[in-house]
Parts: sequence; C-alpha cells; structure tokens
Amino acid sequence: MKFIKKQIPLAIVMVTGLLMVASYYIPHKYSVDYVELMNKWENIVSAFAFLLGLVSLFYSHYGKIKRKADGWGYSLFVYIGFLAMVVPAMMTDGRQMVDGQVTSLGWSFRYIYNALSSTMFAVLAFYIVSTAYRSFRIKSRQAFVLFVAAFVLILGKVPLGQMIWDSLLGWTGQGVADIIEWIMQVPAVAGKRGIMIGIAIGAIVTSLKIIFGIEKQYMGKD
Amino acid sequence: MTKNKIKALIILLLTAGPVLAVAGGKAAPGTIDGFTAVDMPYDAGASVLLKWPVGPSDSADASYVVYGSSLAEGGWRKGEEFVATAKTCKDINLPFWAWDSGEAQHALKVELNTLFGDIPPGTPLKFKAQLLRKGSVEAESPAVDAASKSNWFRLDRLNNLLFLLVMIVIFFWAVSHAKRKGLFIRRIAGLDAIDEAIGRATEMGKPIFYVPGIGTMSSISTIASAFILGEVSKKVAQYDSDIKIPHYDPIVMTVCKEIVKQSYLEAGRPDSYREDMNFFVSADQFSYAASVDGMISREKPAACFFMGYFMAESLLLAEVGAASGAIQIAGTDIESQLPFFFTACDYTLIGEELYAAGAYLSKEPMLVSALKVQDFGKLVVMASVSLGIVLVSLGTKLHWDFFVRVILNLFKAY
Repeated sequence: MKFIKKQIPLAIVMVTGLLMVASYYIPHKYSVDYVELMNKWENIVSAFAFLLGLVSLFYSHYGKIKRKADGWGYSLFVYIGFLAMVVPAMMTDGRQMVDGQVTSLGWSFRYIYNALSSTMFAVLAFYIVSTAYRSFRIKSRQAFVLFVAAFVLILGKVPLGQMIWDSLLGWTGQGVADIIEWIMQVPAVAGKRGIMIGIAIGAIVTSLKIIFGIEKQYMGKD
Repeated sequence: MTKNKIKALIILLLTAGPVLAVAGGKAAPGTIDGFTAVDMPYDAGASVLLKWPVGPSDSADASYVVYGSSLAEGGWRKGEEFVATAKTCKDINLPFWAWDSGEAQHALKVELNTLFGDIPPGTPLKFKAQLLRKGSVEAESPAVDAASKSNWFRLDRLNNLLFLLVMIVIFFWAVSHAKRKGLFIRRIAGLDAIDEAIGRATEMGKPIFYVPGIGTMSSISTIASAFILGEVSKKVAQYDSDIKIPHYDPIVMTVCKEIVKQSYLEAGRPDSYREDMNFFVSADQFSYAASVDGMISREKPAACFFMGYFMAESLLLAEVGAASGAIQIAGTDIESQLPFFFTACDYTLIGEELYAAGAYLSKEPMLVSALKVQDFGKLVVMASVSLGIVLVSLGTKLHWDFFVRVILNLFKAY
C-alpha cells in the first residue's frame, strides 16, 4: 500500500521533473512535444478541478445561507452573479458580439463584470494613499531613507515639484529628473537584483527538494 | 570595297555590343562566392543559418537581400534585407565555446516559420543572396540546398548546465551532511512571529486567515506557501484555533486540503479538522480580492497570512487586513509587490525566505540542510559578481577583447 501511496507518486514526480529540467537543454522536437503535452494535461486537470472549485464555492455559501451566518445576504449574490453570467453565455453560445451587435453576454461582461473589476482596481488608488501615509511616518532610519527617496520621486513627477526644486536647488546643476533617474537605475535596481538572485536560487533549491523527494509534505507523512 | 565596309560594320557591332549593354544596365551580375546554408545549431529545427564571406565591395551604400524557396511551393520568397556591412558572425548571440564569432563572414539566422509559415524540420529548401547597390543587382550567389533539423543539445547552455550540476552535487552533500549533525540557521523574525499570531488568535477567539495568493500549483511560491500552510495549520490545530483558507485556484485548494488534514492528524486533532477550512472563492483576481476583503472586514481576524504569488491584489488585501487590526505576516517572490507588503504588514518574508520558511518551521534536518545550498548559491553569485567586475574592468582597460568576451559569456544566460 505504501508503494502505491508513496513510492509511485514520488517516482512520477521525479521522472516528470527531471524530464522537464532536461527539456531546457534538449531543443529536439520530442522535447518540445513533451512540454506541450504536459501543458495540455495541466489545462485538462485545471478544467476538471474548476468544477471541484465550483462545488466547493456553492457548498460553502449554501451553508452560510442555511445557517443565516453573519453576512449571509452576500452569499445570495454569489448565485445571482453566477446566473447573470452563465445564463447569457448559454443563450449566446459564449459569443459577446453577433453581427456587430452586443449580445446579452457581451452586455453582462461590459456592464457587470468589467465595471466591478474596474471598481476593485480603482480602490487601489485610495489604499496606496493610506499605505503611503503609514509608511511615511518616520519611526526609524530605514523609514527616513524611504521617505526621502519617495519624496524626491513624488516631487520630480509633478511640474510644481520641479519648479520648487529648480528655485531652491537649481544652483547645484542637478535636475530633479536626474536624481530620480539615478534612484531608479542604481539603488532600486541593485536591491531588486539582489532579491531576484535570491529568489532564483531559492526556486532552484525548492525544485530540487521536490524532484528528489526531500520535500514531500504535499503527500502527507507515513 | 563594299565587302570591307560590311566586315568593319560587323566587327564594330560585335565589339560595341557588350559596351552598349553595360551602358543600358544589363550587365550580368557577379557571383557571391562561398555562400552556404546549413541547419542552425542548437535549435529545434525552426531556422537555417546562411553564411558567406565578407567581400571588399561590402559598403554602407550596398545591401544584401536573401531569398528562400521551398520545393512544395516553388518561387522565391524575399527574406531579410540589410546593409552590406552588417550581420556578421559576431552578431549571432552564441557563446565562445559554441560559436566562432569572427567578422570575416556574414551570418544570418533565417526563421523558417516567418519566411515559409509552419513547415516541419527536414523540409528541402533553397536559399540565395543578392548584393544590391543603387537598386540594381551587383552580385548574386548560386542557389544552395538546405534543410533544418531538430538538435539534441543546447551547447550554448553548457554553463547553465554545469552550474546546475554543481548545485545538485552540493545539494546532496548538504543533505547527507545534515543527517550527521545539525546546522545553524539564522533567525527569521516573520516566521518566529507565527506562534505569537496564532496565540493571539486563540486568546481572542477569532479566526486566522491564510491567503495563498493567486498562483497555480506550478508556481514555486504557491508550492512554498503550501509547505508553510502545513506548519501553520499544525500549530493552529495544537492551539485549537480556527483557520480559514480562501482559494483562487481549485487545484491549490485540493492540495491544501490534504496538507491541512495531514497537519491536524499529526497534531493529534483529526476531530477538529473541517472540510470547509479550505474553500474556493473565485478564479478572477479582483473578484477574489473583493471577496477576501469582505470576509476580513466582517470577521475581523486576529491574524492574516499572505503567502504565495500576489499581484495587484496584494495591497487590496493587506491594507484591509491592517485596517481590521490583525497581525499580518506576508511573503512573496514577486518583487514588485514586496513594497506593498512591507508598508501594510507587520512582517514580510522576502523571496527566498518564503522558500526557506517551510524548512525553518518544520526543523527537519534534511529540509534545513537544503537551505545551506541556497546560501552556497548566493556565495557563488556574490563571488562571481565581484570577480567578474574586476576581471571585465581589467580586460576592458587592457583591451583584452577575447578575455572580456569569455568572462561575459560564462555568466550569461542563453
């Protein structure tokens, strides 16, 4: 039983992983076909798993409505939203435009889905302001450095800021645009690359742990 | 007398004929010698390499144009046209160990899919090149046969392969070393705070939200997040607290369900495990963010964990969590989202710390030892960067062009 539950899955992970690694170094058509096949399988599994997700979604919201849990009214909108998209999609065979005319699915997409998504995205602007306020409270030396860099960036991006800079620090011969360019190209890129190198190495090691079966928590323990 | 006049006229016509033809622009073009068309090395068979010697007449006012023909369709298709002084072997992006990058020959990589559409490797093809000056053909190569083929090895990625092999050797050495004795691992504040966060949730009787982000199971950060979830949910089970894990991807949800169930089992609390701890929310980024934000706002959790792959929703989630007063611990390998987590969360795991977290929390010697491989990799990169800067600067100063090329090629990704 352990052989079926542990060894075989580990062997599949190892063989599949090593073949994927090898495909990076083997440009042959067989290798390309293998990667494409794996991608197709992933898409197929995702499609079936999506049904699983849908069942989980409906089940959890059904439970909330049934128990009259806090905010159960919102759960009704899950079903309403679902029907508002699925029914038009079935009626129009999934087409948003027919003969230049917007179908009911197209209407739902444009005036329900896109409007709601845009609203959520727009909320970011307000959150950025509140986050900036919080991070600009200078509590440490690091926060002070962050504040100075951010202040210069904000100053340089607006005409008024450039005018202030020119009138106060114009004598230095350095434009605020040059300072911004330097901040973005030197310290920001250096920090970013440091993080990226760490991430790349961490990703390699994590992959090796999974491929060689050192990390197998996703399968549970004995 | 008349005979002599006719003879003279014939001789005049014969000698003047070619001269008149040249004057009318109809001179036969010269030949481009040494024109070859071969399979492009180290590729899947989607391109052909054309090479011919740089000629003395190659100047900026002339241009080369290449033509290709397939037997199936016949006729010539016009390929790339370029200034006659451009496109030498030096312009082919391959390292010194896989390519002779002299400037004595023109080299042009012809993408077959661009020129002919979708054709399989091995299709018989013909190629020729013309040298144009002021709109007229000055020289032309003979048509040569060529066929691409699928190659078996990317020799240009040899440096990458060697680095990987070294990493694998170090990896196994570190793992076997770990079995004998423990290794020192530096403290990670964000992970040490997990106990505090779960303890707080238990005291307050409020739930913990664990958000694994919007990555799929093929994303390394999501895999790392799943490992962390295993350790967090084990502690949650021990403290008898409540955890909620909203999901963006159904496959991630399925895997996480197994992991959480296993953790409860290991903690000796299988009775406390509920199937609805993991639940699917939406596979749409902003729908997911809106839903999770709503839950956090309503339920006011004691702690929020944001671990995994995040994009624009990172701030939407973290800011709402901060406003709700929860202890927030975040971790992602998307560097563009790290600043948002830094400002909105109490603790943030930066990139590699996220990968290390599972091992750090589990304290299993085999997993902990693998962290040493990460440190070794960083050491190699740091040493390479420092040494590379010195050597390339020195080589540039002394005009050792080939030496500089060797150094740059060794550390370049192809």
